[in-house]
Amino acid sequence: MRTKLLMSAAGLLVAIAPVMGHHAFGGEFDPNKPVLLKGKVTKLEWVNPHAWIHVEIPKADGEKPCEFTPNAKCDEWMVEGGTPNTLLRRGITRDSLKAGTELVIDGYQARDHSLNRANGRNVTYPDGRKLFLGSSGTGAPTDGADPTEAPKGRGRGGR
Amino acid sequence: MRSLLAAHFLFVAFTAAAVAQSPRPTPRIPDGHPDLQGTYDIASMTPLERAAGTPLVMTREEAARFEKERADRVRLLALPSNGNRNAPPVGGDGSAGAAGNVGGYNNFWIDNGTAYYTIDGQKRMSVIVDPPDGRVPPLTAEARQRAASRVVSPTSDAQENDPGLEGATAYDDMERRPLGERCLLGFGSTSGPPSLPVLYNNLHQIVQTKDTVLILNEMVHDARVVRMNAEHVPKSIRKWMGDSVGHWDGDTLVVDTTNFTDKTRFRGSSENLHVVERFSRIDANTLRYRFTVEDPSTWERPWSGEEAWPATTDLLFEYACHEGNYALGNILRGARLREKTRDSKER
Repeated sequence: MRTKLLMSAAGLLVAIAPVMGHHAFGGEFDPNKPVLLKGKVTKLEWVNPHAWIHVEIPKADGEKPCEFTPNAKCDEWMVEGGTPNTLLRRGITRDSLKAGTELVIDGYQARDHSLNRANGRNVTYPDGRKLFLGSSGTGAPTDGADPTEAPKGRGRGGR
Repeated sequence: MRSLLAAHFLFVAFTAAAVAQSPRPTPRIPDGHPDLQGTYDIASMTPLERAAGTPLVMTREEAARFEKERADRVRLLALPSNGNRNAPPVGGDGSAGAAGNVGGYNNFWIDNGTAYYTIDGQKRMSVIVDPPDGRVPPLTAEARQRAASRVVSPTSDAQENDPGLEGATAYDDMERRPLGERCLLGFGSTSGPPSLPVLYNNLHQIVQTKDTVLILNEMVHDARVVRMNAEHVPKSIRKWMGDSVGHWDGDTLVVDTTNFTDKTRFRGSSENLHVVERFSRIDANTLRYRFTVEDPSTWERPWSGEEAWPATTDLLFEYACHEGNYALGNILRGARLREKTRDSKER
């Protein structure tokens, strides 16, 4: 009985525990403007409080020539992620995401629709693998499971 | 020969017992006080408060089950998605908290602990140990009135739960936005005092000399400088993280903090907030962090919490929060646009 009570209480805790972050995404992005972005990385702003991934999306009346698609025009979008520090401690650096890498991103556009900015609700490679996870050499914590991965995370002092 | 062998066994047994019984001596700095220096990762599944009616301590089996559930969830969230998926639903994805109905960002950015705090061999269900129910005591009438009279309350531990629909005036100028959003202090009282575990970047580094102890918090690169055996600065001087002075009580470092600003407002506190922290060694790799918070103009009684701070070989990185804080601008611009829409509807 005690176990049952505890279980349900802990379940409740998990359910009500607020997810806190640096800021409110709901104030920044518009729930009525979902976006699906398929494009290539042009730049990574590896900054706090949140990293921003720049991607170019081919579009007939795009704002400028594409960097990675010849003879085409692109719009540039900025996609908001989380703090880079946690990934740095797992050995992932700003060099882990090369310009030209193809990504699929879903999220919501900034409330100011004149801005090509969105939250990176889900950022994956074209085959659906999550960004930074499961890719040789750059993914996941360095647990030794992948022989091609960096032997030590850069954030691991002396380990 | 036989007696020699027996003597040898006896010697080995005696030595082993002696080693087992005498723990490694507490490392000390040259003045003889314990050396508390190091980097500590206080990420934990243990929340500040626990649900009403639940005990402070879980069994190891219960803790193991919940810890496995957390690990399973992290694994699940790391699985591939459909590369040919569609955009998320119009009207929001129903996510709560800071994810605010738009889904926040992927879980791989998050680092909020894989285990509960273990203290004195106990798996803890809440940071709060006193009051015994593990809840922050009720606010006084004065504190409730203070909170109600404020248009907004950007506190040092704001739960940034804003679905974008907070009272309209909460966006009237940037000074009404939460301290975390403005990069003044980390969210969730990570800067302290008291230091609480948050969603990520839970590293704290202690550097110690005879006269000064520095507590460097990864977020928002806030350094607390504790002056040893000193008096507090005059009451007229107010600081975001208060004014901290320290002394030794035996092998325990006691840090006393007052002189908070009236904008810090830890869980609705006033500028009379008083925090006493006690740092001591549990073992060579772990600190015991205990704090007591009091403010008679805010809570009906003082309250205390306890955390285990395990040392880590991970490095604490710079967190230059203003550097890339596009979010605040985006949020304020969004608010201006919402006002226009609302105004045009009213007309």
